[in-house]
Amino acid sequence: MTVADETAPVLVVRRQIAVPRERVFEAWLDSESLAHWMRPGNFTHATVTVDPRVGGGFRIVMEGRTDGGDYEHRGEYLAIEPPSLLSFTWISNATDHKPTVVTIEFHERGTGTELVLTHRRLAPKAVEAHREGWTDVVRLLDEALTRG
Amino acid sequence: MLDQVYGAIADPTRRAILGILAEAEVNVGTLAEQFPISLNGVSKHVKVLERAGLVERTVQGREHRLRLNAEPLREALMWLEHYRAFWDTRLAALEALLLKKERGAGSGQAENPQEDGR
Repeated sequence: MTVADETAPVLVVRRQIAVPRERVFEAWLDSESLAHWMRPGNFTHATVTVDPRVGGGFRIVMEGRTDGGDYEHRGEYLAIEPPSLLSFTWISNATDHKPTVVTIEFHERGTGTELVLTHRRLAPKAVEAHREGWTDVVRLLDEALTRG
Repeated sequence: MLDQVYGAIADPTRRAILGILAEAEVNVGTLAEQFPISLNGVSKHVKVLERAGLVERTVQGREHRLRLNAEPLREALMWLEHYRAFWDTRLAALEALLLKKERGAGSGQAENPQEDGR
């Protein structure tokens, strides 16, 4: 019996945006754009550096929260294929400073875009989990947890 | 430990076992009846789940009773929930920014540089 040792929970988030995908794509690599939309409301400003090439890095530091905390995300670009595919590692406090992988597909939908974002907990060289299986079990176990 | 949990979850038979145990405690024999593989095969899967802390076994005489322990998955669930909320709000902000720019460009007016909090 073989056990796939390296698996990962996978999160998929989709969004329709009524803007052409070239524009949506650009907004992910433009430091001025990122400083605006990557910043949640309770921070006063963000500092962003981007080196938009495969192997290049990015750093997003959010500052100015009332409790004085700041919050850093950083990573490295794995794939940059405008206007359809973007992938990068993503590291922050919330990932225990371990690399996770974000992959974004930009699909043309008429004059707009369907954005599909996949966030995997482990690096791409790990074997992928069965996504549907994981989603099912998460649902089941979520129910078990709330039942107590 | 968390990697063991993910490894345990990777197998569809083990996910099915967890699904059954999420409904009720069962003994190993009853569990094995639900699967086309041998009792021995099911036992091996159960052991992997036990090592990952997802299943607890109580032995009563000859009966081996199995119970789900969902605690190890709390962390994984929390991670998923955290990042689902994170990306939902970021993508909403991205959409708002892009629509604002698009409207500004479409009407031929110069973009209003006023921004909140910058």
